[in-house]
Amino acid sequence: MNRDSLSDAIGGIDDRFIAEAYSHDPEAASGPSERIVRMKTKRMVSLALAAALILSLGLAAYAVGSIHLARQQELRQDLKVDENKAGSYVEYTVPETQEPQGAVLLSAVNDGTEERVYVNVSPVTEEELAGFADGASRFSWSIEGYDLGGFAGPSLPVDLNLSGKEAIREALLQYAYDAETQTATLECWLTVDSFKKAMEALGTDTVPLQLNLSTDAGTRCFGTIDFALTEEQSRSFDFGPAVYHDEEYDKDIEIVGLELTPFSAVWKVHYEGDALLHSPEGDQQAGRDWLLLEDKVCQDARLVFSDGSTFSTGGALTTPYENGTVKQYCGWGSAIDINDVQRIVLHDLVLWEAP
Amino acid sequence: MDDESILDLFYERSEQAIAELDRKYGAAVRRTAANILRDRLDVEECTNDTWLGAWNTIPPQRPDPLVSYVCRIARNLAVKRYRANTAARRNANYDLVLDELEECIPSGMDVESEIECRELTAAINRFLETLGREDRVLFVRRYFFAESVAQLAAMTHASANRTSVRLFRLREKLRNYLQKEGLAV
Repeated sequence: MNRDSLSDAIGGIDDRFIAEAYSHDPEAASGPSERIVRMKTKRMVSLALAAALILSLGLAAYAVGSIHLARQQELRQDLKVDENKAGSYVEYTVPETQEPQGAVLLSAVNDGTEERVYVNVSPVTEEELAGFADGASRFSWSIEGYDLGGFAGPSLPVDLNLSGKEAIREALLQYAYDAETQTATLECWLTVDSFKKAMEALGTDTVPLQLNLSTDAGTRCFGTIDFALTEEQSRSFDFGPAVYHDEEYDKDIEIVGLELTPFSAVWKVHYEGDALLHSPEGDQQAGRDWLLLEDKVCQDARLVFSDGSTFSTGGALTTPYENGTVKQYCGWGSAIDINDVQRIVLHDLVLWEAP
Repeated sequence: MDDESILDLFYERSEQAIAELDRKYGAAVRRTAANILRDRLDVEECTNDTWLGAWNTIPPQRPDPLVSYVCRIARNLAVKRYRANTAARRNANYDLVLDELEECIPSGMDVESEIECRELTAAINRFLETLGREDRVLFVRRYFFAESVAQLAAMTHASANRTSVRLFRLREKLRNYLQKEGLAV
């Protein structure tokens, strides 16, 4: 296959899509820099806690142990684990002293379909980590002895708003790197189903997870950690189903239910012709309005909490058709308190209300 | 200055047109070139060539939207220069973008054929119509503008890993779409 021709084909993308992508302004859609300020404050608190820990652990433990503990503390706060009682978050015992090299398992969370795994890896140079901003460095995970792998990336605060490579480089070094120990904090995403298949194939309850870094100079492995799947925490909502009529598309869609975890949601919807549209023979062009309406349900529906605040699950990452419904998988960064949901609404339609 | 006024300056053959174009879209053009080329000098030359390309074609063209027009010129020039560059000056990020694209084109498709290349472009445009806005923007920014996963993650306020997963899903969708369109031989 000729890569040049492929590049040319993409170069012919319609003018209106290019203009749309150019004009998409995330900074206008999100808040200004208060979030970053808040994260910096949070980091200072974490560093203060880390400093207290250093005193209790003694200076000998400082070299690496403190960065593992400090990162665990930061992750707990950033993911709002305690604030929103996320039961599916697991933290591991980290070494207080060790050689500043290799991979150290910090924590993990199972969001139902994906397992997020947080690890510290070292040694990583500043240049290598900063290279992630423009694609010069690529982190990945793989399973030793089994053909499965995926992306890993530096772990940045969930609500951080960044624009431009320079800002990203700075944030990588500020939030995901410890220069003294040359330690980078990474986040890996593993599909739960693939992970189960790997365990089955290996005949074990854990898998040997390897963390790798690829640059122009080649690929190197930081080490292997034994990892076991963690438990998910979920809550189910049955809507009846509720029928939502959308004025824009002049269509009715049945909203069957919602499976909620602190970090993800699966909306189940049903409409006329959904099985065919999601089958290999489905005509996505003809069914465009239905596909956009599916997306609208995830994006426009609101979870209402006891303090009156609301939350949108956002657009779906994937939408398979299973057992008579379209399942729309959505995910987000920080935990929500799934036991505090009081109402679920889609515009004027109340889908569910606490008794 | 709005696009119409800039175009008027081009039609009057005023050199102020280039200055205004640079002021308004210079950042976008430089970013487009920088995502594909590694060398700063290459990026600056590509930007200047883009302005020259616009000067030579407006008039008779009166592009609308103007930003798409200049970004397309910049991308074409950057890709051309990228192909001419030696391996040492290539950009790993753009190589990765091409790798990702290759994996979502059905096997057996001969994009070297100009007709199939045009058919592929048309099919990709139809595919983009079926996506929600954010997914479409994500796709175009990654595969047309060649933005890094980290940049896209920052744009969507998601982690780089979540963004990679989302891009993977989009490529799967595109692959299925192209197969349904009968583009696989």
